[in-house]
Amino acid sequence: MVFRGDDPHSEAAGPTIGGSGALVELAEDDALPGAVGGLDSSDVVVGEREGKPLTQWKLFWRRFFRHKLAVISALVLLLLVGMALFAPAVTRFEPTAQDLRNIRQQPDGTHWFGTDNLGRDQFSRVIYAGRISLKIGATVALISTLIGTTLGAIAGYVGKWVDQLLMRITDLFLVMPGLAILMVANVKFRGQEIFGFRVSTDNLAILILSFVFWMTIARVVRGLILSLKEKEFVEAARASGASTFRIITRHVLPNCVGPIAVNATLVVGLAILTESALSFLGFGVQPPDVSWGYLVADARGTAGTDYAYMIYFPGLAILLTVLSINFLGDGLRDAFDPQSHH
Amino acid sequence: MAPDDESYVPVEVTDGDVPSQPAGAVLSVRDLRVEFPSEDGLVKAVDGLSYDVFENEVLGIVGESGSGKSVSSLAVLGLLPEKAKISGSVVYRGEELLQKSERQMQALRGSKIAMVFQDALAALNPVFTVGHQISEAISTHRKLSKRELADETVELLDIVGIPNPKRRVDQYPHEFSGGMRQRAMIAMSLANRPDVLIADEPTTALDVTIQAQVLEVFERIQEKTNSAIILITHDLGVVAGMADRVLVMYAGRCVEMGTVDEIFYEPRHPYALSLLASLPRLDRGGRDDRLYRIKGAPPSLIHVPSGCPFHPRCPLARLPEPCATVVPPLAVVAGAEHKAACHFSDELVGMTVDDLRATEVSS
Repeated sequence: MVFRGDDPHSEAAGPTIGGSGALVELAEDDALPGAVGGLDSSDVVVGEREGKPLTQWKLFWRRFFRHKLAVISALVLLLLVGMALFAPAVTRFEPTAQDLRNIRQQPDGTHWFGTDNLGRDQFSRVIYAGRISLKIGATVALISTLIGTTLGAIAGYVGKWVDQLLMRITDLFLVMPGLAILMVANVKFRGQEIFGFRVSTDNLAILILSFVFWMTIARVVRGLILSLKEKEFVEAARASGASTFRIITRHVLPNCVGPIAVNATLVVGLAILTESALSFLGFGVQPPDVSWGYLVADARGTAGTDYAYMIYFPGLAILLTVLSINFLGDGLRDAFDPQSHH
Repeated sequence: MAPDDESYVPVEVTDGDVPSQPAGAVLSVRDLRVEFPSEDGLVKAVDGLSYDVFENEVLGIVGESGSGKSVSSLAVLGLLPEKAKISGSVVYRGEELLQKSERQMQALRGSKIAMVFQDALAALNPVFTVGHQISEAISTHRKLSKRELADETVELLDIVGIPNPKRRVDQYPHEFSGGMRQRAMIAMSLANRPDVLIADEPTTALDVTIQAQVLEVFERIQEKTNSAIILITHDLGVVAGMADRVLVMYAGRCVEMGTVDEIFYEPRHPYALSLLASLPRLDRGGRDDRLYRIKGAPPSLIHVPSGCPFHPRCPLARLPEPCATVVPPLAVVAGAEHKAACHFSDELVGMTVDDLRATEVSS
């Protein structure tokens, strides 16, 4: 234990310089239990589970659970998603059921979030709108991450003219005014068939939003891979007989998972916000589908009146979701980085 | 016979038929040339290198930085960038490697011929546990069950002398000390019991105590696996302790080759002798003695000196004839396999390090 006492982080901090390395080696060779090269406390815990190998995922979760804010955010998100998924069980009223005798009720025991100007239960409306908003956020993040990662990885690893071509295409998408395109595309494709499919307004929003959010991820991944492919461990992987595909998928991309995950979570938030903005402008999802953004837009007349709660609840849902997702992204980034000390 | 086609093909194999190898040779390199086009001209990184590695043997390749040690071994594995122009022949157990496709080479790399890199921290993937990476190296070539994979990974770590391997498999490279990282690298390269292990300066980044431990690992491996080891280094001490035969490289060429004893006790090339003379000796000379140095700087590989590439720095050179005009062939100078590329290698018979030092004083 003497060996560890001096500076527990000397090893983890980076490449060892001769002296401390020698000390550690000596410690090993004397086979002192516990005196293995400069570990921090958490790693010693790893060691206690002798004989039961910890998988990469278990180590990942261990690091993730150290990040309290991220864990809380994950729980909040889980709650929101759960309520959206099981909306019929959670709500007492149909989101579209009108009750003209009970319009514009303030929040109370029956209508937790009050009712709107047609007497619809606002709580049901928010929960059901969450289905659309969360679906849009998650799917847009998934699609744009897939597109961005694939293009970025190819551009970065293959390089040369492929890189040039893909990056110029990326630039092209970046210089287009996103919101305007979204609005035009929404009007153009609404109610139309795309490749023979009749696309509902929420799916249309997903498609369109995916097309404007993949570029950042493509650029991030390309940059990462450009620097990673020069690393010696890539050459070592080549020397051990790994194919290009295997090198990209099993050696290089896992090094990008942290930044990709963070970016993806940012896109979730961004997509929900952008969809809200679009809905607010009247270019988002259309009734009978409703999203949180739509609810805010629908209630915009109540701002500054006694009925402003109509804005607060869907607004709060957006705020809570986006905040949680960003914290979750933080936690994921740390969890994916084995060298993090959080 | 190869057809007399003058048009340039990047990989040009000198002998079209199944190449012959000396008995017992695992890997045979013949007239290997590697050139890199650069803005200043063609860089001749390796210029006509030939050697054999036999089973259960350690071949030490020594030379200064830029003498082509690493490039030649990367060429063997087919790991050089595409712009490199490679010619000659690399034969592994009767198979010509330079003609193989990338896919065929992938099957060979890591399973038959493996490589240990110099900087283990850089050569290990920071986001995976050491155990995961070793398993990955195994599963690149062999399909094993999870259980077998885990067992073999632990066993490999045990072979290279990592204490408490069951615990260590789940740690990340940054949690390993320098010496252990290098041993983990070696474990990875051993994953599929390769025939040939190319160790590119495996101990250069380590301090002396750890060096000794890592070298011990190599010795232990050889006892167990009979693989041939190519040990690339610029540390003559490492070569003296480990190698059976030594190849001395200068300016991309082999200038002397022989057994360890031949090279260290009867060097027949002035460069090899100079290298030995420049080693610090604790038992000789006073406190004020300066170390012997080889004058000048390593030659440019774009404008390699005419004749013998070592002539501008050679204390024994006869200028201009023949040293600056005629390229000395690598010829047998003594015994069966002791070869040197020097016009006056006969004159080095009996010459000691002290004699060489004396020439420096007089000149």
